[in-house]
Amino acid sequence: MEKLLIIKSLSKKFGVENVLHELDLSLAEGQVLSILGRSGSGKTTLLKIIAGLETLEQGQIFLNQELLNTWPPQRRNILYLYQEALLFPHLNVVENIAFGLRLRRMPSAEIEQKTAQMLEELGLSEQAQKMPDELSGGQRQRVAFGRALIVNPRVLLLDEPFGALDAQTRQQMQVLFKRLAQAHRITAIFVTHDLKEALLMGDEMATLDHGQLTVYPTKTAFIEDAATGVQAELAFWKNLVITDPTAH
Amino acid sequence: MFRRASLLVYLLLCIVPLLLGLGYVLAYSFGLIGLLNHGFTTAHWRAVLLDKTFWQSLGYSLYIALACMSIVVVVSAALLAGFRKNLTQGFLSAFIYLPLTLPAIVAAFVCFQLWSKSGLISRMVYQVGWIANLDQFPEWINDAWGLGIIFTHTFMATPFFTLLFLQVYEREKIQRLEQLAFTLGATPRQAWLKVTAPILWRKSFFSILLYLVFVMGAYETPLLLGRQSPEMIAPLIIRKLQKFNLLDMPQAYVISAAYLLLLMGFGGLVFSKIKTRMA
Amino acid sequence: MKKTLLFPAILLAFIFGFPLLFLLLLSFGQQWPYPSILPLHWSEETWQKIAWEKRIGNGLGLSLLISLSVGSIASILSLLLAKAVAYSPNQRWWLGGAYLLYLVSPVVLAASWQFYFLRLGWAGQPLGVWLAQFFITLPFGVIFFNSFWNEQQRSLEHLVATLGGTPWQTFWRVSFPLARGPLLICFFQSFLISWFEYGLTALIGVGKVQTLPLMVYQFIGEANIFYAALASCLLLIPPLLLLWFNRRFVFIER
Repeated sequence: MEKLLIIKSLSKKFGVENVLHELDLSLAEGQVLSILGRSGSGKTTLLKIIAGLETLEQGQIFLNQELLNTWPPQRRNILYLYQEALLFPHLNVVENIAFGLRLRRMPSAEIEQKTAQMLEELGLSEQAQKMPDELSGGQRQRVAFGRALIVNPRVLLLDEPFGALDAQTRQQMQVLFKRLAQAHRITAIFVTHDLKEALLMGDEMATLDHGQLTVYPTKTAFIEDAATGVQAELAFWKNLVITDPTAH
Repeated sequence: MFRRASLLVYLLLCIVPLLLGLGYVLAYSFGLIGLLNHGFTTAHWRAVLLDKTFWQSLGYSLYIALACMSIVVVVSAALLAGFRKNLTQGFLSAFIYLPLTLPAIVAAFVCFQLWSKSGLISRMVYQVGWIANLDQFPEWINDAWGLGIIFTHTFMATPFFTLLFLQVYEREKIQRLEQLAFTLGATPRQAWLKVTAPILWRKSFFSILLYLVFVMGAYETPLLLGRQSPEMIAPLIIRKLQKFNLLDMPQAYVISAAYLLLLMGFGGLVFSKIKTRMA
Repeated sequence: MKKTLLFPAILLAFIFGFPLLFLLLLSFGQQWPYPSILPLHWSEETWQKIAWEKRIGNGLGLSLLISLSVGSIASILSLLLAKAVAYSPNQRWWLGGAYLLYLVSPVVLAASWQFYFLRLGWAGQPLGVWLAQFFITLPFGVIFFNSFWNEQQRSLEHLVATLGGTPWQTFWRVSFPLARGPLLICFFQSFLISWFEYGLTALIGVGKVQTLPLMVYQFIGEANIFYAALASCLLLIPPLLLLWFNRRFVFIER
């Protein structure tokens, strides 16, 4: 399969600290790569470098065989989604979603049609005229998704996108993302510190620890590696013995 | 590119004027420029630093600012404690803003018409029969203790700090902390002294310090309400500048330079303390 | 419990509002010999003088012109400059300069600048006074907007960039609309700094640029308290109007 995104020996330092070290990675079109990483592992820096929001010291980033290194973020069409939805507080839901299209000076009629369709897909039609501060956390994150997807990004970078949501909303959003990813054939890197979420969302798996990236050939390899913590988790559930004091 | 140009403009419009001013003042004070000056000399600095006028003026300015801010902090805290409900709703919440609309010169004028020997208070005291003529009324304006100046600045600053404290009280959710203290067994007095007051103090310390420096540099109020000895620092500088005694000019610039350098040192100190604490 | 506070609250409100009432009374008064509590005669004559006494009208017009233009230009420029300062790696040093300018007594600054203004022929000119006031309001604006250009703002800018927006689009579609509220507050605050300024104006204007605060002082010097009260009332009209519209225009945390 032809790879869409290829990263070769990427390194980044902040002062003397090695944030990312000799990092290699490739991603085929339509695939989602889950990266499991704790806070401080360098994951945010990695995503910002790919999006062009942070400079790199060494290495190459190719998108469709073109070297991206010196491209400004505006040209890359790679979108970075934050943990918080970061909606424009002065625009309502429709205008937040339409924002990227307005930047491209698309005809109004076309924008209207596309945003209506996106709202429908996200189940937000009823909220169309609301302002960001009138929405729930899950709704805000959905608007952020819509705002990103509507411009057809080449790659979507998600940085703990559901980290601020409660467990139930988080699950709903995971299902929604999975559905959208398949429908739109989204190429994405999904960074999370949640083991279950990483397994659920990714087609391919990797871990990032102290700036070192380990990519696994298969999901099975990821599960079997003790370093990912999956084995420990399985052992916990297997060995769980319930001692119920009321049973006596 | 744009950012670099902006920084250049900032440099030109904010930093350069400051440096030019400081440069001129320093050069004049060391005899490098000016009509009666003949090259580098420390004579003017020596004259100023060895004379008590400068030190007295500095101390007097500090005294006025400290006296004013002590009263302001205490009164503002008391107003917050006693009138918090009235300050958030109803007529008092509007009236408290009124003193903020007063320029210093107008506030000083009102103070003069109120407290001077022929002022409104003196007339009222006369009508009541406490004094037989206006000379018996105490000297509260142009007095040695700077009572008029302190009164004016206190009047202008108290609403400001009351509103500031109110803002801190709400932002830091102090009411919830007070209630927590109550459940831990604190009396209202203890809750106020051990919870509310320390938080208000910490959170507004920087503003109090800034205001203190403002009052120290006051010009209009001592101009109308003060006297020549002791005299606050800003009117002293301007008086020495405008006396048209050319020998006084270098001294005025020595005092200006000393004041600027003092503020720079003080600012640097506070700034490094505050920023390192935040980082 | 709140009932018992009504009288003290009224008393406080009276104290806070008293200077305004007092000035208004004096501006309508005509003779006020000791020991009468109120002026002996009342007349609106002083107020009518605004119309035909040229210097009051001129002072009012000049003050308005200077303060409105200083306020608007300084606040817009400081919004832009504050961004460069806030995003600079040496933010602390840059900002230190602004804080220092903000702290120094304006009249002492004027004393240190007077030589340059005289040399350039700007002293005694409205232009000179305008510039000097501009120099002291600009640092205020930069400090004011420093907190506007925060992490959140930077993230929004990044987001717009990845969505394909140019810096120009970012400014007009996101930063500027978000800055509109703060800009208004900064404008009014800068306006008031300029409107209230006495010492700096007196020194740089060498007494030739007669703004309203200078007239108040001059009338006091002429022992004409009724005129001084009138000029004071005129000085209070803009801040009172601002207060009427929005309290935040008059009070901000420094």
